[in-house]
Amino acid sequence: MTVERDHHGFDAPAPLGHPGRIGLPDGHPTGPEVGERLPDFSLPDAQGRVVDYHESRGQAKSVVVFFRSAVW
Amino acid sequence: MLSEFAEKQNIPYRLLSDIDSEAIRDYGILNDEIGREDAFLEGIPYPGVYVTDEEGVVVAKFFHDTYKLRDSPEMLIDAALGRLVASDDARQASGGDEEVRISAFIHGGKGTIRQGIIRQLVIRCELAEGMHIYGDRVPEGMVPTTVSVSGPPGLIVEAPIFPATETLRLESMNMELSVWSGVVDIVVPFYPVGLLASETRPLDMDSAGIEVEVRYQACSDSSCFPPKTAKLALTVDLDVIDVPRLGVHLGHGQRAGKFNSMPHMRRLILRKLRKYPLGLPRFVWKNIRLEAAAKWRSLMGS
Repeated sequence: MTVERDHHGFDAPAPLGHPGRIGLPDGHPTGPEVGERLPDFSLPDAQGRVVDYHESRGQAKSVVVFFRSAVW
Repeated sequence: MLSEFAEKQNIPYRLLSDIDSEAIRDYGILNDEIGREDAFLEGIPYPGVYVTDEEGVVVAKFFHDTYKLRDSPEMLIDAALGRLVASDDARQASGGDEEVRISAFIHGGKGTIRQGIIRQLVIRCELAEGMHIYGDRVPEGMVPTTVSVSGPPGLIVEAPIFPATETLRLESMNMELSVWSGVVDIVVPFYPVGLLASETRPLDMDSAGIEVEVRYQACSDSSCFPPKTAKLALTVDLDVIDVPRLGVHLGHGQRAGKFNSMPHMRRLILRKLRKYPLGLPRFVWKNIRLEAAAKWRSLMGS
């Protein structure tokens, strides 16, 4: 596995051009904007129970993190 | 697998699995530069964070042009609360004088830094009663407040973020000035890149020195002190990461928690293979080409 430094200066254990290293292209949308209500979704949690986002949130503030994978 | 992952990584918050990228697509953040020919990589989002209020309305969002750049969790909490919550045990330095007491501290993490994770240097100016310092609209001959922050090569320091100024009207001189008074927090985001804190080779040094210079001029409504420059220095520790044994599927987070992702990786690959059998061979072939190109570049460079 070759380690290469990208144009941002970051090292990663994959060659440049590897699809896993692709960044957010210029001007690409980043989903709902500030001031918009987040769309609802229903997804299973770690125990397989389906979670409805807004319902589970109740009246609480929330932080929603999209990350790439827990596997790799 | 998420329950094991959460347990080994000590993750207290809820993890959800968007196995068919439904929510990711619905949000419009599917990484569409990665296709089914990229096998198990297909379906990932552009990573990012939304912070909402009680109604579920976005109050802040954090996306960057590279997945390597991530905000410290403290910044997400600050965004949710709408104020900066400093840690009591943050690394700190102080300076200034009686009119303006200046301190600088690291916000985010435990005073440590690692590749791509954004921390904040907070420069706190505490002004004596009746004193102000200037924003960028200054009277002739006066000095606006500026900060400069420097560190070792490989420490990227972003532009300082100043709070909003107040308007000070001086009737006698028919002037409007932009000033700060009271407690002024100037925030400077920074992060190390591979040169300073690579996660693929052992560290060259275990801490980094950061130098801060604040230039300001303190005035009351009737008189001014001469301009001054305060210099502060502090150090941050670099997170030690277990290198070098590194596989592409084993980020340092996985290793730290002794989470073995291989069985899950196999299942993921099989699931993607069933949907598109050519995905894996095409991905493997692409990797061979990319590796060869990288070897060539390294030969040419050395």
